[in-house]
Amino acid sequence: MEKNKEKKGSEENFTPRIVYALCAWCGTGGSETAGAYWLKYPENVRPFRVMCTGALDASYVLRAFIEGADGVVVSGCHPGDCHYNLGNFRARRRLAVMKEVLNALGLDGDRLWLRWVAHGEGKKLVDTAWEFDAHIREKGPNALSRRWDT
Amino acid sequence: MVAVKIEGNRWEGFKGFLRDLLGEGAVGAVVVPYPVPAGDSFAHLLVKEPSRVDHAWPVAPVMTVQGGRVVSRLTRKGPVEVPTVVVLRPCELAAMRELIKLNQVKPQGLLTVSFDCPGAYPLRSYLEGNGEEIKAAFLNALKDFRLAGARPLCQVCIRFTGAWADIEVGFLGAPQGSFYLIAHTPQGEKALEALGYTGQEDLAEREKAVEELTASRVSEREAYFREEFGPQVAGPEALLATFHNCINCHNCMRVCPICFCRECFFESNALKVAPHNYLMRARRKGGLRFMPDTLLFHTGRMNHMSLSCVSCGACEDACPNAVPVSRLFAMVGDRTRAIFQYEPGRDLEEPIPFLDYREEELQEWEEPYIQSTTHCPSSL
Ligand code: SF4
Ligand code: SF4
Ligand code: SF4
Repeated sequence: MEKNKEKKGSEENFTPRIVYALCAWCGTGGSETAGAYWLKYPENVRPFRVMCTGALDASYVLRAFIEGADGVVVSGCHPGDCHYNLGNFRARRRLAVMKEVLNALGLDGDRLWLRWVAHGEGKKLVDTAWEFDAHIREKGPNALSRRWDT
Repeated sequence: MVAVKIEGNRWEGFKGFLRDLLGEGAVGAVVVPYPVPAGDSFAHLLVKEPSRVDHAWPVAPVMTVQGGRVVSRLTRKGPVEVPTVVVLRPCELAAMRELIKLNQVKPQGLLTVSFDCPGAYPLRSYLEGNGEEIKAAFLNALKDFRLAGARPLCQVCIRFTGAWADIEVGFLGAPQGSFYLIAHTPQGEKALEALGYTGQEDLAEREKAVEELTASRVSEREAYFREEFGPQVAGPEALLATFHNCINCHNCMRVCPICFCRECFFESNALKVAPHNYLMRARRKGGLRFMPDTLLFHTGRMNHMSLSCVSCGACEDACPNAVPVSRLFAMVGDRTRAIFQYEPGRDLEEPIPFLDYREEELQEWEEPYIQSTTHCPSSL
């Protein structure tokens, strides 16, 4: 953690608030697998369970960014493995649009990540949480989350 | 394809054509912009009497209600029972075609007529200005296609012809004192033939003129968003400043042809929460602006419908507080649509991107995973 202090854009002792959106099937399953192997993820990463990545409307993600999150990462079943067949295909298109809306407005779409995680990929889920945490620490706080005039 | 050149005054010729369609019984009704009785504004009028059409303004200097919404209301309970002409600006037609895809317009029996649009004035500047002078200047713009003081989005409009209509009225590339009637569909052809128009005029000059203007508008639009408007609004600071005047009245959403939802999510109970929720947010942010959720509303809308936004400017015209809403939506929409090379209204068979998918696509939007990541202490 020591080295993060010098990183550009980061505040003294900046601990990012991170929301990890997980679908109820593979995403949550991945976290169960991680639990079974006693793998740890950073405590500032908060899981947010949705039935399907396809059920993740942009308003949840935007709400998170506006009301306090510094980053949002989304994981669910790999394309082709969706419990509801098409949900993650839909999600992928929505996520691309969400990121591009943020980019077009200069709000940094790179604070939003999509990475597929299968039920058995506990390590991938935990790795993603750590990697995203480091990525957001590097970026520093999300300005929107601290503004009262949103 | 039927394409004919009509000699004579463009304005009278356009109205004469609509009157003939009604008079000859090719259609039973016309929907066309019309001056309101007091003469100081315009409204879409549904008319059956050919003589009424003489006073219509098929190309109006302002857009009061978006024509896509007009057609949607007209056909909400079912298709029209008599063949009906609807005269629409190109962006209104594009909206109508998006609404057909979204099952909000029943197109059976409708004959669409659209035209080379010189643009429209901002509603406010028109209502506050000298109506007669402005009308005269506007009619002049039909000749040279330069409308000083047009709405900002009109000035960088890249789909300004009626090419997606059943019948296109073409001014560009036609010799002064003439215009073209071009049928693009079998219905359009039938209607022109009913008036005795047949043949195939050479449109090479027109195509060249349209192509040139399109090319220059495309680069102007791109430069406007990249160099001028974009830097004024992008980034947390500038974006919030842009919305500081917003009173969260949702007018922009209500007038939008694409936001057809019977209940908008952003007006639903989902966002009406108990006081302790507001207090919690206020504590976190050091205060909370009321009305809350302004930025959420705008950015949420952009996610929901920017793919289908037709850059018509209706939202900006309706904004009481001069928020540049339509430019924001057009700028964002240009970017989101580019992901799918989608263009609203272009093709009725082309699904709206959110209703479609490919099994393999958009990998560049996913975060690649490299197995032996070093971030995870537990993997050591
Ligand atoms: S968002 Fe504005 S510019 Fe876009 S379609 Fe709706 S009213 Fe027209
Ligand atoms: S903002 Fe979204 S929910 Fe509201 S009317 Fe538009 S599309 Fe519907
Ligand atoms: S942008 Fe304008 S029209 Fe839209 S909610 Fe804000 S004040 Fe109302």
